Amino acid sequence: MRYDHAVFKPLGDLYLGVEFGDELALRLNFRVIALNTALSANPISGVAETIPTNRSLGIVYDPFTISRGRLEARLREIEEQMGEVEEVPSRHVTIPIWYNDPWSDECAKAHGAPNNLKFLAEINKMTVEEVVKTHSGTDWWVSAVGFTPACYQAMPLGSTRALTAPKYQRPRKWTPERILCIAGQLTSFYPVRSPGGYQLLGRTPIDLYDPLQRNPAFNDGPVLPRVGDRHTYVPIEEATYWEIRRQVEAGTYAYQIREEMFRIPPDRR
Amino acid sequence: MDTFEVLDGGLHSTIQDGGRPGYLATGMPPSGPADRFALGIANVLVGNDPGERYLVGRRPGDAGLEVLLFGLKLEALIETVVAVTGADMAPTLNGAPVPMWQAMRVRAGDVLALGRTMRGARTYLGIAGGIDVPLFGGSRATNVRAFVGGIEGRPLKEGDVLRTFPRRRPLDELEGRRLRPALIPVYRPPWRVRVVLGPQDDLFLEESVTTFLTFDWKLSPTSDRMGYRYVGPKLEFKPRPAYLVDQAGADPSNIVDDTIPVGGIQVPGGVEPIVLHVDGPSLGGYAKIATVISADLGKVGQSRPGETTNFMAVSTDEAVAALKELEASIAEASILGN
Repeated sequence: MRYDHAVFKPLGDLYLGVEFGDELALRLNFRVIALNTALSANPISGVAETIPTNRSLGIVYDPFTISRGRLEARLREIEEQMGEVEEVPSRHVTIPIWYNDPWSDECAKAHGAPNNLKFLAEINKMTVEEVVKTHSGTDWWVSAVGFTPACYQAMPLGSTRALTAPKYQRPRKWTPERILCIAGQLTSFYPVRSPGGYQLLGRTPIDLYDPLQRNPAFNDGPVLPRVGDRHTYVPIEEATYWEIRRQVEAGTYAYQIREEMFRIPPDRR
Repeated sequence: MDTFEVLDGGLHSTIQDGGRPGYLATGMPPSGPADRFALGIANVLVGNDPGERYLVGRRPGDAGLEVLLFGLKLEALIETVVAVTGADMAPTLNGAPVPMWQAMRVRAGDVLALGRTMRGARTYLGIAGGIDVPLFGGSRATNVRAFVGGIEGRPLKEGDVLRTFPRRRPLDELEGRRLRPALIPVYRPPWRVRVVLGPQDDLFLEESVTTFLTFDWKLSPTSDRMGYRYVGPKLEFKPRPAYLVDQAGADPSNIVDDTIPVGGIQVPGGVEPIVLHVDGPSLGGYAKIATVISADLGKVGQSRPGETTNFMAVSTDEAVAALKELEASIAEASILGN
């Protein structure tokens, strides 16, 4: 559901949630990006930082500088001035993936779950090969970054048949690093070993989080993914995986990133 | 200057300052102390900067140590002043008991040892001048999952050397300063933790919200600076529209991911509410019933597995008032001179 006006959600005494809807829809994410952009251009005194997510903008504010009521009033003004969002800056990033890798299989087993690719094939009434083809056959729009540094969520941009997947009922205690995963219709990623509840798809040999910032791709900070990025996932096999991983560890891998503007299709504004 | 050598890192001891705000949009948690009051007072006692307020302050303040449950042992390399606060780990100096919540002088060769806490979970050590480790993202706070801050982003281990910045006040002036006795916290269950309901309390059955606010929850051993899990009855959800089952996931607790504040309480599957804490995620896809108020994050940080917690709903205004009171107490006015 898309709300007529943003709804303000209580998040304790230091945060406010500005929610544009409860559903997963690109148009909600474009609204979030537009509000975030408007706030960067005209900062509100007392707002410490903002957190764009799929459907809401999290706002961290100092309640001793600006009251909750005043903050809501200012945000309402900005929302009313916001026009239709026609295009946004968006990087295109190519990410190689070894689908159905042995680490994901081992992790699922350790938590009493079936092989996640076979499970996805079963619930989507496809073969494992079709799952991989469907997943890598569309670009993915990064609509939220969080959970852990460089963990992100991405929505399918294309009109191909979408995959769907339930989350684990009880989150896993751990997941290996650099695992690509899916839940609902969102692709996500575990940059570092962490707990989590998404179904495991495969592993990438490239780092999307590097606290040592060894590659020029990390010149701006240790976290690569940004809200508004588009990803293409390219299936690779074991030999390519190890070849790329060696380059990444040597700092010689050339990240495939293109800076572009993304024009939002009229039916998704 | 080299001030202490670590003889035993204990169970899990990390360097913490007031935290690393400003990176939530990249998924980098703010970290910082699990108990802001205890680290703040440790700093004030030894003449350090306790920093500005958590998440919205401009300065993280000086770095000290956060020690979990037991076992840190340090040898002093120079003469300085330290203060031990937080959970009482029966600290000793060269084997003789020394007081908590009080600045004391140590001399080169002295061994400062922490025992085991029976009440509270985390002990803090303030060292005059503050610990000197490189800043990462404007803070020295350790985040072991992100491998940043502190010493190489990890807990302390035997052989580490703690360097400190020059102290701000003479040792004679600092030695013997102590916290006003009335302000010394009692780390005893049942913990009464105040929360602001929302953002998704409306997705739970009303009787489950009541259960959440009335049950004696027990802290699970599977708890850390990222999240504190509470064991108790299952909470139930209202029926959801079909598009959310499809988009967010089949479990009734699934939502389309949104912001988790520090202190947010998510309830995956309706089982074991989890308070996401200072090293916790900024984004999540499970319904959040409430948010622990910032003033009470330290109570969560000091609670021990098996102990009872009651969650009490308050308004945002009450939460802000409680924060004002907490912050005002982390100040020189709370200290009795020597």
